[in-house]
Amino acid sequence: MHEFEFLEPETLEQALALLAEHDDDACVFAGGTALLLAMRQRMMVPGVVVSLARVGSLHGISYDPATGLRIGALSRHDDVARSPLVREHYPMLAAMAAGLANPQVRNQATIGGNLCYADPATDPPTCLIAMGAEVTLAGPDGERRLPMRDFCVDFFTTALEPGEILTEIRLPAPRAGTVGLYRRHLRTAAEHRPVANVALTALQQGTGWTDVRLVIGAATPSPQTMTRAAEALTGQTITLALAEKVAALVAEDLDAISDSRGDAAFRRQVVRAATRRIVAEAAGLDWKEHAA
Amino acid sequence: MSTHKITLTLNGERIEAEVPANRLLSDFLRDDLALTGTKRGCETGVCGACSVLVDGDVVKSCLSLAVQMNGRNLTTVEGLGKVGALHPLQQSFMENGGLQCGYCTPGFLMAAADLLARNPSPDDAEIREGLSGNLCRCTGYQGIVDAIRATAEAGHGA
Repeated sequence: MHEFEFLEPETLEQALALLAEHDDDACVFAGGTALLLAMRQRMMVPGVVVSLARVGSLHGISYDPATGLRIGALSRHDDVARSPLVREHYPMLAAMAAGLANPQVRNQATIGGNLCYADPATDPPTCLIAMGAEVTLAGPDGERRLPMRDFCVDFFTTALEPGEILTEIRLPAPRAGTVGLYRRHLRTAAEHRPVANVALTALQQGTGWTDVRLVIGAATPSPQTMTRAAEALTGQTITLALAEKVAALVAEDLDAISDSRGDAAFRRQVVRAATRRIVAEAAGLDWKEHAA
Repeated sequence: MSTHKITLTLNGERIEAEVPANRLLSDFLRDDLALTGTKRGCETGVCGACSVLVDGDVVKSCLSLAVQMNGRNLTTVEGLGKVGALHPLQQSFMENGGLQCGYCTPGFLMAAADLLARNPSPDDAEIREGLSGNLCRCTGYQGIVDAIRATAEAGHGA
């Protein structure tokens, strides 16, 4: 691996100052699992690596019934998966974090690092967008908050400006009657990275749903919010026939990517099946049945 | 390039070392400390042969820098058991045919140690999920799963 300076600021202010000082030559280092691979393959060659591990304010997970959940950006996936607060109030998020990658990566990689790297073949962004997450970005001129869906811009591209650091992820307090599921699909059981994933959240109102969010990721350059599908699901009694209709809409609207792990047609098929299944499952129907 | 003085606990012993910033943990263990039980396999975070415990959690040492270990508590396979005083998992891997060539074994042992520390009586699906970050190209995994199940059933889980 190339030579670099490894800097370990202890406050956010120090970290921001180091990024400002070293500008393009600096790179933020969180858990390191993705960054070290990129550096060893010379896809990234920073002269200065700024580790955030010692910045205390970026760690920790807290919950307030009024304002919801705050996840420090340096929380590891395993911290999210095992947090009693996340497990109790956001089981959809805890289950996603517990099933991501593999145990070694969950023990080292951080949720903030994952979001900033913006590799499409991953789990958290899809799930977090459907859950209505926001991110807080700190920069030289102060903080700003963005909805997660605006933070994810494109393939390996976020809304993070040079010199900014993602400090926390926030989720609104869960509302009574919330329906929420996240499912990932792999090309083979031995793979760690999804070829497609889908997240669904809604509020149960009588026999139907309101506030429906359906998000597809990993099959797209960045997570795609499926608005036509969400509208079609709103206020309707959920049946297997409706699930099939919505799955067809999603497959039609999908901005599918092609790569060595699957071409666009394959991903469209996977997403169509995944959508049908998650809608059925969220409504308590057996997706193995087919509509008459 | 920056160099860093680090202090860590390694297999129960406090050590100090000076490492360049770009030293991988796997290279630090094998080349600087001659702890060659930790294997380098793919060196791209896929195979898990380089797995070690950091503060009790299994991680891949090829995806870690030595400098990140400052102040941490590390266990390598050398700290798990010794000849004549094997760890119950090592004994069980022998008895259940949990290895053939043995190259992946240290990584599997560390992953299994973490798994059983979290879940002293895992079912087979949980064992397989706990091993999902490790590859073995000889055994077909069944002997490894058997070995871990037997360790748990013998009450050596925690």
